[in-house]
Amino acid sequence: MAQIFDRSSNALARMGLVLTGLIIIAAGVTLDELQRSPWVTRQGQRADQPIPFSHEHHVQGLGLQCQYCHTTVETSSYAGIPPTRTCMNCHAEIWTNAQLLEPVRQSWYTGESIPWIRVHDLPDFVFFNHSIHVNKGIGCASCHGRVDEMPLMYAQNTLQMEWCLDCHRNPAKNLRPTSEIYNMAWESPSEDHPVWCAANDKADAPTAQSVNCTTQDPSGQGGAGSEMASLRMPPAAATGLTGEVAAAMPPASPSYVKFADQMDLGHFLEVHYKIRTPKDLTSCEVCHR
Amino acid sequence: MSREMRGNGSETAMRLAQEHPSGAKARELPTAESARADSCPDTKPASDGSCSPSLQKQDLHPAAFAQDDSAVLKNEPMTLEAVRKELKGVKGKRYWRSLDELANTPEFQAAVEREFPSAAQEWIDPVSRRGFLKLMGASMALAGLAGCTKMPDEPIYPYIKAPEDLILGKPMYFATAHPFTTGAVPLLVKSDEFRPIKVDGNPEHAYNNGSSDPYTQGTLLDLYDPDRAKHVTYRGESREWAEFAEAFQNKVASTKDGTGVYFLSAAITSPTLARQWSEAQKAYPKAKLVQYEPALAGTFLEKGVNVQYDLSQADVIVSLDAEFLSSASYPGFHKLVRDYAARRKQPENGMNRLYTVESSTTTTGMKAEHRLGLRASEIPAFAAALAQAVGVGGVNAPAYAWTPEQQKFLAALAADLKASAGKSAVIPGLYQHESVAALAMAINNALGNLGKTVFSSSEPAIPVPSDQLGDFKSLVADLNAGKVDWLVILNANPIYDAPADLNFADAFNKANIVVHLGSHYDETSQQSHWHIPAAHYLESWSDARAYDGTVSVVQPMIDPLYGGHTAHHILQALLSEPMLSPYDAVRETWKSTIKGDFEAGWRKALHDGWIADTVAAGPPKGSAGGAFNGAIPTPTPKDSVEIIFRPDPNVYDGRWANVGWLQELPKPVVSLSWDNAALVSGATLSQWNLEEEDIVEITVGNGRVKAPVIVAPGHPDNSVTVYLGYGREVGRVAGGAGFNSYLVRNTWAPFYATGAVRKVEGKWGVAVTKSHYQDKRPPSLLGQGQGDNSLEGDEALGPRAIVRYATLDEFKANPNFAHEGYTKDTPPYDDSLFPNWPYNEANAWAMSIDMNSCTGCNACIVSCYAENNIAVVGKQQVRIGRCMQWLRIDAYFEGDLAAPRAHFQPMACQHCENAPCEQVCPVGATIHTPEGLNMMIYNRCVGTRYCSNNCPYKVRRFNFLLYSDYETESLKLMRNPDVSVRSRGVMEKCSYCVQRIQEAKIRADQENRTIRDGEIVTACQQACPAKVITFGNMNDKDSRVSKLRAQQRSYQVIADINTRPRTTYVAEVLNPNQELEQTPVEHA
Repeated sequence: MAQIFDRSSNALARMGLVLTGLIIIAAGVTLDELQRSPWVTRQGQRADQPIPFSHEHHVQGLGLQCQYCHTTVETSSYAGIPPTRTCMNCHAEIWTNAQLLEPVRQSWYTGESIPWIRVHDLPDFVFFNHSIHVNKGIGCASCHGRVDEMPLMYAQNTLQMEWCLDCHRNPAKNLRPTSEIYNMAWESPSEDHPVWCAANDKADAPTAQSVNCTTQDPSGQGGAGSEMASLRMPPAAATGLTGEVAAAMPPASPSYVKFADQMDLGHFLEVHYKIRTPKDLTSCEVCHR
Repeated sequence: MSREMRGNGSETAMRLAQEHPSGAKARELPTAESARADSCPDTKPASDGSCSPSLQKQDLHPAAFAQDDSAVLKNEPMTLEAVRKELKGVKGKRYWRSLDELANTPEFQAAVEREFPSAAQEWIDPVSRRGFLKLMGASMALAGLAGCTKMPDEPIYPYIKAPEDLILGKPMYFATAHPFTTGAVPLLVKSDEFRPIKVDGNPEHAYNNGSSDPYTQGTLLDLYDPDRAKHVTYRGESREWAEFAEAFQNKVASTKDGTGVYFLSAAITSPTLARQWSEAQKAYPKAKLVQYEPALAGTFLEKGVNVQYDLSQADVIVSLDAEFLSSASYPGFHKLVRDYAARRKQPENGMNRLYTVESSTTTTGMKAEHRLGLRASEIPAFAAALAQAVGVGGVNAPAYAWTPEQQKFLAALAADLKASAGKSAVIPGLYQHESVAALAMAINNALGNLGKTVFSSSEPAIPVPSDQLGDFKSLVADLNAGKVDWLVILNANPIYDAPADLNFADAFNKANIVVHLGSHYDETSQQSHWHIPAAHYLESWSDARAYDGTVSVVQPMIDPLYGGHTAHHILQALLSEPMLSPYDAVRETWKSTIKGDFEAGWRKALHDGWIADTVAAGPPKGSAGGAFNGAIPTPTPKDSVEIIFRPDPNVYDGRWANVGWLQELPKPVVSLSWDNAALVSGATLSQWNLEEEDIVEITVGNGRVKAPVIVAPGHPDNSVTVYLGYGREVGRVAGGAGFNSYLVRNTWAPFYATGAVRKVEGKWGVAVTKSHYQDKRPPSLLGQGQGDNSLEGDEALGPRAIVRYATLDEFKANPNFAHEGYTKDTPPYDDSLFPNWPYNEANAWAMSIDMNSCTGCNACIVSCYAENNIAVVGKQQVRIGRCMQWLRIDAYFEGDLAAPRAHFQPMACQHCENAPCEQVCPVGATIHTPEGLNMMIYNRCVGTRYCSNNCPYKVRRFNFLLYSDYETESLKLMRNPDVSVRSRGVMEKCSYCVQRIQEAKIRADQENRTIRDGEIVTACQQACPAKVITFGNMNDKDSRVSKLRAQQRSYQVIADINTRPRTTYVAEVLNPNQELEQTPVEHA
C-alpha cells in the first residue's frame, strides 16, 4: 500500500507550523492594532450630533473664548457643556430662523436637553480633573487638538491610558505658560519663536501668577515689556541656564529668561508651577479609585 | 460557619455542616434535624432532636483543654460550664471574641482554617460547580473580546438654564437637621448636583461638633429606598393629593368643633408642628391628638424632660441602665460621648471613671471600669440603695437580698461618688422605671452636681409633652366606643408597633375613615383607607430642636422624589390659611425669635444650621438637698424571667428596617446582623438547656413570639433582651428579618416585663460576624501559638498583644507599657527582604485610632458605606463571611464570661508599608502609592484572592457575586460619584478615603500650597462622636497624627511580622477603683 503522505508532506507540515505561528502573531498584531484603531478609540471620528456645531466658526471665526461655554474648566473636574441658554444668548437675536438651529429652539421652548454625543469619553473608572490641568499649564489644545480648526468636533487623541501616561511620565514636553492655556495657536518655543519667562518673587502666589511669560522680547526691541527692561538683567546672561538654575536665582531680581526649546521651558515651568514628580503623577490613585 | 452542629462532635456532622450550610434558609429544619439525629453516636438525642450538649460535657475535664491539644484535635466539644472553668483558671489577661472561640469548637477550628468561612460549599455541590464552570466558560470567552469592544455612545444632557450656583463636579454643602425622636441631629449634607449623597454632622454646631450616629447615617439610604411609597391611594386606587385635601378639609369643617377627628402621630419633634397643632386645637377644640412613639412611650423623655450632663467636668460617671455611650436612642448621645471621650485622651492629665449598672449587655457597660449586671427590676432598688448610701433623704429602699459582690460594688460606688461630690454625674436609664430618673436626680442633687455637671435646658426636645401610653389607651377606648370618625395617622405604624394588649388592629377597623401618612406602604397603610406618601426630612421644610434645645431649621436637599407631603401640610389644612406651605409655616414660627432683619437672620440660620439664642441652659429645678418622695418598685423574685425590650441599635423601632446598611451592620457586642434575637447570658443558656440558635417561644401576658437565642456576654442571668423593630412584613430588605417583639410588649410593661421562655423545635440560623475574619496560624510561625490560634484569641493575649492596656496606676508607673513585655514589637527598619521605599519626600498618610475612647457605636461603619459605595450582600452572604464592610469593630472580651470587659478595636486596612497583599498579587492590582497608600486598582483585579489570603489583618473584601446594585434607579442618585462601584470578581478594601485625599491635593495644588493638617477627614473620622480617629501626614512633625504616633502608648497591631502599618492604635488606660480592683469580678 502506498504511503498516504509522500515526502513533500514534510515540507507542507513544516510550512504549516510556521504559518500557524505567523497567523497567531498576525492575529495578535491585528487585535493590538484594532484596539488602538479609531474604530475602537473613535479618534478622529465625527459623531452624528443633533446640531452640526462648528467650533471653527465660533472660536476662530467669531473669537469666542473657550470659557464662554465651558465655564467650569478652571474650577471643577468637569469643564461643562453649555446650557441651551448659552446658545440662545446670541441665537435669540441672530440666525433666528436657521433650520440648523431648530433643535436649539426646540430645547429652549420644550425644556428638553439637546442630546449631544460625548466625543471625549473616558471609561467610568477613570477620574479626570480639568481644573488641575489648566491650572498647571496644560493647554486645551494639548489634549483636544486645534479645536478652532474643527468644523465638526472630533477627538484628536486616543485618550487611551498609554497616551495619558506619555505626558504624566514627562509633563515638561506639554507645559506652557498658564496665560496661554486657551491660546489654540500656541506653538512650542523655538529659535524662531522664543519665549521669555520670569518667575514671580512671591513664593505663595497662585500658580497662574507664579510666572510671567511673553513672546515679545522684553529686553527692549519694542514690545510691551520694554519700559521695564532696564530693571532686568540682560537675557543673554540667562541663556543656556536650565530651569532649575534659573529657579534658584534670587527672586529679588526678576529676570526674564529666554527659552527657545520646549523642554527647557517645560522644566522651568515644572519648578515654578510645582508640578508633581512623574513618580507621583503615574501613581494609580491619581486617576483610579 | 455552621452553628447548628455545635456539640455533636462527629465527623459526619462536620461534613454535613459544610455541605448543608445554614446559609440556605433561615429555618431549614429538616436537614439540620436529620443530621443531628444521625450524628449522636454516644448520646441519645434529646427529645428536641439535638444531642443534649451538657451530657457530653459533664465528664470532660476542662483542664484537659488548657494543656492537652489532642483533646481539641479530636473535635471534642466543650460546654459553657467547661469554658467558664477554663477561664477561671487563667491568670492575667485572656481575650476572646466569641463562645466558639472560647470553647475552641471544631467549627471554630474549621472556620479559621478557611479564608472565607464556608466559601468552599459551592464547589462541593456538583450542581453549582457545573453552573460555575458554565459561567466561567462564558466569561473566559468574553474576557478576550471585552478588551476590544467599543464603548457605546454616551449622551450628554446639558441644562436648559443652568442653576446659578451650581458647578458641576463640585459638591455643595447645606446645613439641615435630622429630626430624631431623642433630639435632632444637626447636619451638614453633601450635595452633588442637588442630590444629597452624604449626611454628616454639622461641624460648627455646639451640640454634636460634626459627629453623627448610625441612624443618622442610615437616613440617606432611607431617602433613596426604592420601596418608598410613591402614590396617594384611596382604598388601593391612585388618587391626587388635592382630592384628599378637599375630602379632609370638608370633613373637618363639617364637624364644626372637630368631634370625631383623631390624630395619631409619631412624637412631634417640630416646634412648628406643635404650633400648628395648638392652633388647630383652638379652631377644633374637640379634635384629639395622640402621640405614640414606641421607643419613647413610657419614658421620662415623653414628659419633656431635658436634663443635660456635662461629662467634661465629671470625674466619676454612673450609668443606671443608661446606654448613653451606645446609641443615639439615648438623648444627648453625641455630646455625652464626646465629653466622655475627651476625658480619656490624655490619662496623664487625669481621666474619668465610669460605673455601669445595667440590665442588658451594651457597649456602655463594656466600656465601664466597673460594670454590674442586674436584672431590670433590680435596678430601681439598687438606685434607691445607692441614694440612701450617698445620703439622699426620704428614700425608702426596698429590702432585697443583694449578693456580697453587689454589696461591695454598691459600697465602693457610693464612697467614690461621695469623694467626687460636685464632680460626678449619675445618669438614669431611659428605659427604666420612672423612679430611677428621680433617684438619679436626687443623688446628683445630694452630691451637689446640679449646675456643675447636671444642667437643664430651657426648652425640651419634645415640644408637646404627653402621656403617650395613656393617650393611646384612651384612643383605643374611643375607637371601640365608635367615637372615632376620622383617624389620621401621621408617620406612625401602629398596626405593627402598637402594644399587644391593646388589640389595636381590631379597634382600628372601627374608625370610619383612616388616613395614613407614611414614608412606606407599610402594615398600617395596607389597612388604611387613604395612604399619603410622606416626604423624607431631606425633602421637606420643618424644624427641630437638638437635645440641648437649639433650634435647627430642616431644609430640603432635593424635591420630593415621589411628591410626598408632611404632617405640616395636613395640620395646616385645618387652619385659616390651608395652603400655606411648610416653608412659610416654619418662617412664621420663628418670626418673633429671629432678631433684627428677619430675612438676614433667616438666611444666617439656614446657612449656619441653627437659630441663635433659642435656648438657655441652667441648673435644673429642684431644691438643693431636697428629699426624695416617690414609690420604688420591689424587684421581682430572682428566679422569675424578665424580658427586656430595647429599640434596636441598628433599625431603632423598625423605621429603618428597610435600610440595608443598618440591617447588615453587626450590632455592638453581639455582632449580630440581619436579625434580632433573644439575648441571654451563658449561664442562663446552660440552665435552660439551650444552645445558641435554638428557637424559644417568649410569652408575656397573652402575647407570644418565637425567637432565636444567642449569648450576650455579661448579660444578667434569668433575663432576656429582645430588640424591637424586626419582623416587618413589608419591604424588600425588612421583610422576613427577625421576629416582631412588639407582639409580646404591653402597655403595662413597655421596657421590661416578667415572662416565660420555652424551647420549641428547630434552629434559626443567624448571621453573627464575629466568627469571621480570623486567621489560621501555623505553630511554626515565629514560634508562636499551638497551631490552633485565631488572630484574636491567643494573639490578643500573647506577646503579639493586639489589644494593649494598663490601669492608670500602671501607666503612671510605666508610661511605656505598650511596648514592654511584648517580645514581638516592630523589627528594625532594615529587617526586610524587600528594598525599603523612602517615604520621607512628600506626604505620608497615616491614621491613629484611640482605643481608649472608642465606644463601638458603629457610626464609622455606616459612614463608610455611604462614602465608598459599599454593597449590601444580604443575610445568607453574611453568614458565609462575605460581608463587604471595609471597616469593622472587633470586640475583644476579657475575663469572666458572666462579667467580661470588652475592648473595641476598629479594624480596617492598615496600609502597611511592607504590605503582604502586594507581594502576592499576580497582576499588580494592589500597589503602593508614593505617599504610602495601599491602593486597589479595580480594573486590574482578576480576583485571585491571594491578597486576602496573605493579609494578616483580614480586612480585604471580595465581590464573590454581583453585590452592587446597578439596576435600581433611585440608588443611582445616592452613589458617591468619586468612587467606582465595584462589580463581581473584584477585591476591595479601605482606601483611607483616597478620593478625599485626591480632592484635597488638587485643591492645594491649585492654590500652590501644601495640604493643611486636618484638611483631609476620612468618612469614619467625620462620623465618630468620640473623635477616635485621626488622619494626617506623618511626615509633618506638627500634625496631630504625628503627635499621636509619637505618644508612648501608640502601638501597631501585629507589627512583629514587619508589615509596618500606617494605622497605629493608642493603647487603652483604665481607671479602676482600688476597692474594686479585682475586676472583672470573678463569678462562681
